[in-house]
Amino acid sequence: MNTLVSAVALLLACAGFFTYDQITFRQGLIRTLSAQAQIVGSNSVSAILFNDPQAAASTLAALQGSQNIVSAGILSSDHRALAQFSQDRREANVDIPPLGPGKVQAYWLRAGRVVLVRRILSEGRTVGFVYLQASLQELDKRLKRYALIAVGVLLISLAAANLVSSSFRKSVAQPIIQLAETAQRISRDKNYDIRVSSPAERNELAVLVGSFNEMLGELQKSHDELEQRVAERTRELVSANRELEAFSYSVSHDLRGPLDAINGFSYVLLNQYGAELDGQRRELVENIRASARRMTALIDDLLNLSRVTSSAMRLEKVDLSEVARSIIDELRQSAPQRAVEFIAPEKTEVVGDPRLLRVLMDNLLRNAWKYTSQHASARVEFGTVPENRRTVYFVRDDGNGFDPRAADRLFQPFQRLHSAAEFPGNGVGLATVRRIVQRHGGEVWAHGAIEQGATFYFTINSSRGLG
Amino acid sequence: MAAVNSAVNSAFGRRVGSRPKIAARLAIASSLIVLFATFAVGQNARSTESQVKAAYLYNFGKFVTWTDRAGNSDTFQICVLGKDPFGRVLDSTVKGESIDQKTVRVARISRVQEAAPCNILFISASEQGHLSAILADAQRMEVLTVSDMPHFAERGGTIGLVNHQDRIRFEVNRNMAEKSHLVLSSELLKVAVRVIQGKPGR
Repeated sequence: MNTLVSAVALLLACAGFFTYDQITFRQGLIRTLSAQAQIVGSNSVSAILFNDPQAAASTLAALQGSQNIVSAGILSSDHRALAQFSQDRREANVDIPPLGPGKVQAYWLRAGRVVLVRRILSEGRTVGFVYLQASLQELDKRLKRYALIAVGVLLISLAAANLVSSSFRKSVAQPIIQLAETAQRISRDKNYDIRVSSPAERNELAVLVGSFNEMLGELQKSHDELEQRVAERTRELVSANRELEAFSYSVSHDLRGPLDAINGFSYVLLNQYGAELDGQRRELVENIRASARRMTALIDDLLNLSRVTSSAMRLEKVDLSEVARSIIDELRQSAPQRAVEFIAPEKTEVVGDPRLLRVLMDNLLRNAWKYTSQHASARVEFGTVPENRRTVYFVRDDGNGFDPRAADRLFQPFQRLHSAAEFPGNGVGLATVRRIVQRHGGEVWAHGAIEQGATFYFTINSSRGLG
Repeated sequence: MAAVNSAVNSAFGRRVGSRPKIAARLAIASSLIVLFATFAVGQNARSTESQVKAAYLYNFGKFVTWTDRAGNSDTFQICVLGKDPFGRVLDSTVKGESIDQKTVRVARISRVQEAAPCNILFISASEQGHLSAILADAQRMEVLTVSDMPHFAERGGTIGLVNHQDRIRFEVNRNMAEKSHLVLSSELLKVAVRVIQGKPGR
């Protein structure tokens, strides 16, 4: 494209120049002819006045030396030829058109020739005419020569331009493009091992490439460093977690022993010797048993939580609706007097660990059951909200709800938003739910308001990283 | 016509019959007409020759420089000495013409002494007899002497008109021109049929 534009520009310039040259050359030619005519004319006055053809002829003879004069002649005032010559023997009389009265000189262009006629004056009177006929061959030759030169120059300059441009491309444009492509590749593939090859010459581009490579090296180093650090931190975290989990498991497990003892012995006490105990003593033992029961529950929950955290996951198809129904049945059996309406879809299939999912649903439904216990009738719902790229599951109740401002504390362990007197519980349930949901690669969140119930949403993204 | 008839009668030596008479008369008449025509043409030819000579006389003025009397007067005088062969022709030729912005006038003189104001002096053939005297006087006057008498240039005239190959040409005597303080243009010399350099006579 550029080449075409340059070529056109060059050609236009040449055309302009040549046209100008042609015009000026022709004008020059006419001027020369005019001068020659003047000289010949003034030198022929006497020949004309004294009717001397030989003198006229000898004056004309001087013109025969001039290259491009084809023919010339001296005419008397009545257009009769006094003397003439013609380079071309074949040419007969040249047809000289008459000169207008006011004009001293005129010229006509005819068939590749120019004919110039001039009056010969003596004492202000026309005594005769001189005519010169010159060939414009020279003009044509000139033009052809110029055309050849123009074409030659054009070709050479285009070739030179091509050479320069390709050398430029090689030494500048190509390395830059390579640089850009490499940068793109690195961003795309995140492969920091790639380096750009340095150009042959040691010029500014080599400096640029060098700096670029240096930068890449630094990038790679910091990337590796970061990876290392992340790996380390992860290792630390994992091990910390593991430790914690192991600790909580062993603690819980170890705590059970004494607890079982407390439970057992207090039972025996009550059973065997209950009759001998009076009301007050009996109450004391009941209190011991109650606290022991609570503690057992807490340890169970903690054990659950740690199991949830540590055990390996098995992925299977699980019907959450079925799980929910079975849990509700259990709850109904434990409190048959309660009027609780339960709504769930026919089938809700997900992929996940069946045990963990059961624990999840158990916790959520039990909460819903629990926090509607103060109302005469309750409604608990399990369902799905299809969203753009994921399915959101929810468990809703119309119970006491919670203060939404404290929502961020909901899922932290041991954070209870209600007192134990209001609603029993130890604050581990939702933490467990969160952990299970996390292990399934999902999220959990809650909406609620005081006395307006609560809705717990969660997602299970089994296709993403699990564990 | 009557004289002709009688001449013809006597030439034939007998009285001519009526029909042959008419034919003969016709023949004679036509030949006479031809003769007259030729004579008339000859007259014209002769007028053309005068015209040419008159034109030459005027044109000489363009190629000669009068060194001593340049700018002296505002007229250019052509004088005819002796029997005028031009008649009206010379006057009509130079009418309204000028040489070097000087109006051209024609004058006829009878004596060479009157030639002082003349630029060109045409010496008629009638003056052949006392040519040397005329030339001797003319020489002192810076005047261009022209004539059509034979050998004029050889005999001391400056420009002599001659008949050369059926054309009016002229011979030039450079010496005389020099003596008369006249400068003849090379243009003139170019077309002269003969240029005489060196002393005449010897």
